Amino acid sequence: MIQQPIVAGFGAVRIDRHFGMSSIDLAVESLKDLESRHTDIDLAPDTVIVSSMHPEIMQEQSGIAGVMADYLDLKGVRVYRVESGEASGLAAVNMAYTLIRSGLSRSTLVIGVEKVTEYPTSMITRAYSLIEDSDYKGFYGVTPAAEAALLAKIYMKRYGYSYQDLYKWPYLMHSTATTNPYAQLKFRLKDTSYEKSPIISDPLRLVDMFPYGDGAACIVVSDGSAVDKRDAVIAIAGVGASSDIVDPFVRSDPVFFDAVKNSFNQAVAMADVNRDQIKYIELHDSFTPYAYIAMESMGLVERGASVRSLSDDLTINGTYVNLSGGLKARGHPWGATGVYQVGEVFRALRGEEQYRSIDPIYAGLAQNMNGPGAQSYTTLLRRVD
Amino acid sequence: MFKDSVPKYWRLRDVVYRLKYIYCRDCGKSSFPPRSKCPYCGSSNIDHRYSKGNGVVEEYTVMYQSEARYQDYQPIVFGVIRLDEGFRIVAPIVDVDPNSVEEGMRVEATLRRVRVDGSTGLIQYGIKFRPSRR
Ligand SMILES: [Zn+2]
Repeated sequence: MIQQPIVAGFGAVRIDRHFGMSSIDLAVESLKDLESRHTDIDLAPDTVIVSSMHPEIMQEQSGIAGVMADYLDLKGVRVYRVESGEASGLAAVNMAYTLIRSGLSRSTLVIGVEKVTEYPTSMITRAYSLIEDSDYKGFYGVTPAAEAALLAKIYMKRYGYSYQDLYKWPYLMHSTATTNPYAQLKFRLKDTSYEKSPIISDPLRLVDMFPYGDGAACIVVSDGSAVDKRDAVIAIAGVGASSDIVDPFVRSDPVFFDAVKNSFNQAVAMADVNRDQIKYIELHDSFTPYAYIAMESMGLVERGASVRSLSDDLTINGTYVNLSGGLKARGHPWGATGVYQVGEVFRALRGEEQYRSIDPIYAGLAQNMNGPGAQSYTTLLRRVD
Repeated sequence: MFKDSVPKYWRLRDVVYRLKYIYCRDCGKSSFPPRSKCPYCGSSNIDHRYSKGNGVVEEYTVMYQSEARYQDYQPIVFGVIRLDEGFRIVAPIVDVDPNSVEEGMRVEATLRRVRVDGSTGLIQYGIKFRPSRR
């Protein structure tokens, strides 16, 4: 029998520079948060999937899933680590979906964890730059920020936007993150804050990039045997995953992400929901231009129109995006991010505190990618009622 | 961890010193870095060729915050360069004031120091681009 995967619970730590905590400590804290949020569920996972991008480099740890399961006092469980660069989190959630749907697992704990701030900033940037094709782009020291800057210039020129036009995104992300208990950056930006923000790679400034921060988030995906029934039950209704040529400048169009489009369409086609029922999206905005390109690649708006179509209440053509603050302000602990994103959609569908001001939402999705659309993953959630 | 490797750059010598690329005999497109199949049409009917190193700047950025090994070279101008053979590469542009780089500027390849590994003392060279002198 094919099982319907349910998100039974979510927990996380606030993303920050947690100098006092290791990746194991962070994972333990995120599970404590899950247990305190969902007091009446029996977790009893038979499987643990850890998503983490750089445990070898940042924590000098291989086989991290096994070590983590041990410290979480889970014995006799299946352990796996999933790594797909900064999209590891949603890749792991997609694997959990598959294990439940196949009937192999009845309850899978997905832990996304990343210890990012263990070294000085230039070393963190070096580790992050490994998402580029190392032998060629990495050889010249091309950072993800420099690549994003080149794509921003192409995008701005093609569609006639100024830097000030694009600045709307970080401004709104900072504003909405102030109410998110898990967000790293909880201060508002002013209309002109960018003027004092250092340029990382022209035209992009520090305000256009996610902050370096440590984090861990976890969800339990179950076949329904473990579920918090006090509020709405949330199912994973569809998943998608797609890849592209890694280097955007080798693709025919560098500022439209086919992998994002394809993974989005797969998840929607798989789910028993109509496209217009999807009213909430958490998207991957590691750099300002990627937020706009992701919205266009998912078809929320026509190409080039996202900057002018995005409203101040963070809706675009009637769909809410990134009320969490996104990677930009909630934070982006690499391999943990996709799990945070699923948690945000889960909380939005349940109408939890931060999401009470918006109309009830039936279906929503998370989109998580590695680099500028080199690989993209989508997880679509809906209420069961 | 994080040390430069001698065998690696010996292996990559044709690419990082001579701009080896592939030309697809089926669809006529060129691409870089070299691979076993054409990224545009999937054909294995490809030639390995070497670029003459002349091209044009399509887009550029000036980077001020580099990763650990490149901080001596900051700010670095990175260009999206379209070589005359038809493929693109993202590479540093040197011997030029960052303020005077512009799109459409003709550039040529030049062999330069790319980085020094402080722990092993290895010096890596590679192709960068400078304003064309022709
Ligand atoms: Zn071809």
